[in-house]
Amino acid sequence: MLRYVLRRLLYAVPIILGVALLTFLLFYSTSTPEQMAVRGLSAKNPTQDQIQAWIVQHGYDKSKSEQFKKHVGEMFLFRFGKSDITGESIGARIREGALPSALVAGLIFSGSVFAGIVLALVAAYYRGTYMDRLITLTCVLLMSIVSIVYIIVGQYTLSKVLKLFPVAGFADGLEAWKFVMLPFIVGVVSGLGRSVRLYRTFMLEEMNQDYVRTARAKGVGEKSILFKHVLKNAMIPIITSVVLSIPFIFLGNLLVESFFGIPGLGGMMVDAITNQDFAVVRAMVFLGTLLYIVGAILTDVCYALVDPRVRLE
Amino acid sequence: MSEVPVLLQGETEKRLRFIRFVRMARFRTSLWSALVCLGLSLPALQGCGNNPYPKSDARRAIHYRILAEDPKTLDPTVSYTNTEAYVVDVIYPSFFQYNYLKIDPVELEPNLGAEMPTREDYVFEAEEDGQKVRKTGEVWTFRIREDLRFQDDPCFEGGKGRKVTAHDFIYSFKRMGDPAMHSPVLGFVQDKIIGMQEYVEYNRKRLDDKQSGDYAFPIKGLQVDPQNPHVFRIFLNQKYPQLKYLMAMHFTTPIPREAVEKYGEDFKTHPVGCGPYMMKEYKRRRSLTLVKNPNYYPDFYPSEGMPGDAEAGLLADAGKQLPLLDEVHFTISRETVTAWNLFIQGYLDSAAVNRDNFQQVVANTGSGLSEEMVRKGLVLREAAGMSIFYYAFNMDDPVVGGNGEKQKKLRKAISKSIDNQTYIDLFLIGLGVPAESPLPPQLEGYDPDYVNPNNTFDLEEAKRLLAEAGYPNGINEKTGDRLTLYFDNGAGNATARQMVDFVVRSIERLGIDVQSRTSRPNVWQDKVRKGEFQFISYGWLADYPDPENFLFLFYGPNVRPAPNYANYQNKRYDRLFEQMRAMDESPERTAIIHEMRDILAEDSPWHYTFHQVSWGLYQPWLKNVKTHPVSKDVTKYYNIDTEKRAQLWSEWNRPNHWPWILTLAAFVGALIPAANVVKRRRNRRIRKGPGRKA
Repeated sequence: MLRYVLRRLLYAVPIILGVALLTFLLFYSTSTPEQMAVRGLSAKNPTQDQIQAWIVQHGYDKSKSEQFKKHVGEMFLFRFGKSDITGESIGARIREGALPSALVAGLIFSGSVFAGIVLALVAAYYRGTYMDRLITLTCVLLMSIVSIVYIIVGQYTLSKVLKLFPVAGFADGLEAWKFVMLPFIVGVVSGLGRSVRLYRTFMLEEMNQDYVRTARAKGVGEKSILFKHVLKNAMIPIITSVVLSIPFIFLGNLLVESFFGIPGLGGMMVDAITNQDFAVVRAMVFLGTLLYIVGAILTDVCYALVDPRVRLE
Repeated sequence: MSEVPVLLQGETEKRLRFIRFVRMARFRTSLWSALVCLGLSLPALQGCGNNPYPKSDARRAIHYRILAEDPKTLDPTVSYTNTEAYVVDVIYPSFFQYNYLKIDPVELEPNLGAEMPTREDYVFEAEEDGQKVRKTGEVWTFRIREDLRFQDDPCFEGGKGRKVTAHDFIYSFKRMGDPAMHSPVLGFVQDKIIGMQEYVEYNRKRLDDKQSGDYAFPIKGLQVDPQNPHVFRIFLNQKYPQLKYLMAMHFTTPIPREAVEKYGEDFKTHPVGCGPYMMKEYKRRRSLTLVKNPNYYPDFYPSEGMPGDAEAGLLADAGKQLPLLDEVHFTISRETVTAWNLFIQGYLDSAAVNRDNFQQVVANTGSGLSEEMVRKGLVLREAAGMSIFYYAFNMDDPVVGGNGEKQKKLRKAISKSIDNQTYIDLFLIGLGVPAESPLPPQLEGYDPDYVNPNNTFDLEEAKRLLAEAGYPNGINEKTGDRLTLYFDNGAGNATARQMVDFVVRSIERLGIDVQSRTSRPNVWQDKVRKGEFQFISYGWLADYPDPENFLFLFYGPNVRPAPNYANYQNKRYDRLFEQMRAMDESPERTAIIHEMRDILAEDSPWHYTFHQVSWGLYQPWLKNVKTHPVSKDVTKYYNIDTEKRAQLWSEWNRPNHWPWILTLAAFVGALIPAANVVKRRRNRRIRKGPGRKA
């Protein structure tokens, strides 16, 4: 197993290099250092002299290969440098935003996995009854609504009409709970349709397996069939579908963070692209690539852990 | 024999009773635990509500505002956005300020200044084409108050704010001249303050050598009086009355060198000033809080205003020490929906009226506030910002450019085909003043009765002009081809595209074929700076309330990439501009401005569209609100009726728990019949099962 993980980590190096190169090429094909300078300077009409000074100051006067070498070297040492636009330390910004992002996204994630499995179990247990149909129908309805509608309707009903939670904001420590509740509820509900439908399918597939019939023939009760046999085996596909998305918890959810005023990393990438902040774009792309690779390795490891038929070699 | 079954029966009954007991107990436990959980969670939920602020702040004099984005910088030498100005201007006051109540026309008065500066002619020797010549410039003498102190900060000795001196003003100018700072207003003074140019070039060389700026390099034109550290002089190589406006902007605020040296790059998020407020806390993407500065000098609420101010209650706090509030809290959120919800709940003291909330704010009849807003007691105020939005023709273009009679007529025809009022009604929900010249209302030279003969919508006249320009019905007389124009724009969203569409269709009514070329913002900016366009739409917001700040957009030496994007050149206009620039407000100057306006009307390098007007909604507890067209340090004048706010907050925001409890109960209730169905189905299966049959 260790050898497998090490090998996969080594494979990651060329992938990261390739992604970095691609980012570089793409960014330079769409914007020039002059355009970045115009964006970065606060003046309404920066003079040529100011533009040139900005380019020198931010190191964009060097050759592209030199810039690329420097970038790759710094990234592998996790030195992200400073934002081109605000001049603040990108590393500090990531550390600052990671916690609120992880808190909100982590809660939403675990909440929706839990609620998804529970509702899928209910639907599976009551399969064929109106309860199953009701859940399936609701899921299809939930799936067909765009996520921004959940946010606006959630803010409107839970904060404006029922006045239960603040519309937006964030606080440190335990005070955070009242701000997290609304995005948590909205986040869980908006993702529920998809996950319940998916998990229900996994469960029903297991329920039609031979071993379930055998268990039933032995006289095992319906509840213990569901919890001891079906749930355990249905977890294999559920885990694979879930683990891959764990790393992205740290990168946050753009819409949720923006509307609920969560000071996370969700908007960082989008802001950086609109502001032409190449330094931040580079750092975030690197981080995204790294997390994706880690996610993929984790999925494989988990798969091997829960399914004895799979071995990592 | 008979005893045995009885015994057996008794045992079974016992067992059954036991089983029933256990089941009952289980059911009761779960029922009880559910009830206990609900009981425990209810008070917890009762405690919550939609108030995003700590409970202890409910009755404190805190003003709650929104900040649409994180400030990029709070460094007064660099900061240049309106958003940032509401924070920066109350931390960093300047020599001058605008009188808060006298807004038409706006009036400058000393703020950190002890008196109005004196101005004298100054004769100096300059080198021109290798020869020494005598020139007349101007020297301004500024005397500042002697009771000014910086806020307390660890950067000072013992953490106590030290006295402000004239050296701190000079230091501020030196930072402005450091090319590494990229100060947006350096261009205003670089060629005017004697010795500034040399200072900038010297530090530019240092920047190229990757060295930091050297502020010890002297600037001849900036001097502190050797006898009095509270007096400094600025020597200018020309008459420059606009310097007074620069001295009212935060770029010229006194900056403590200690703070810049201690905080380095972090100075931009760690402001140290001598203003009414100082920064208490800044949490990125969350909030920014300012707190009253105890070292602020004795600055008082004005005791006279314009007619009607006293009746409007604007003089209730006259003569009181400023600021009137303890704190200003900014919630940082870019989402207008979120900001609007917070405002409607009462958790923001003001909100802007925009397209999204217009329907809710304004009554269906189109006049005044809607019923909901009136019920809440909200106040609507209009503010005319100093701006001009326009379409600029490229004067170098072979078709629409040039100074020939035919080209002028073509531009006039296009200009007269655009209906500004409809444009304002459609896209700005009526919030705009149709523009007839580049000068917005409240500026010297603006005449509300003036009608520009070549800008006002008149389709028939436009068609006639087009025919005279050699394109009857849009067809080129010589070639017989239809005239095709290209409209370059950076329309990024649906509304912007509709605006483009409106203009395209307006001009196409003349028979001209108009092609819209939309580019990404970057590319579009590049095209504008390089002049790769036929006509573009653009806007300009005033830096200071002087017509010079608008009329310079047509000044010959300011051609691209400077903001004369049309590349308009007219020798007569340039001469008048130079003359006007050096004059103070006077009827003679107004006459010159009118002449310049008429030259522009005749040459028509732009189509003027509108001057922006904005609407603000204010909560009933916020006092002393007057919308100032220029000033951004308004929060120091605001006051709050905290009792009224606390009362309305609780009235408007009583939590309601029933709907979600009922929803939960309905879900649980729905499970019971489903459970019965499953039970019945299982029993049925057992009855029909093969085992039974056998």
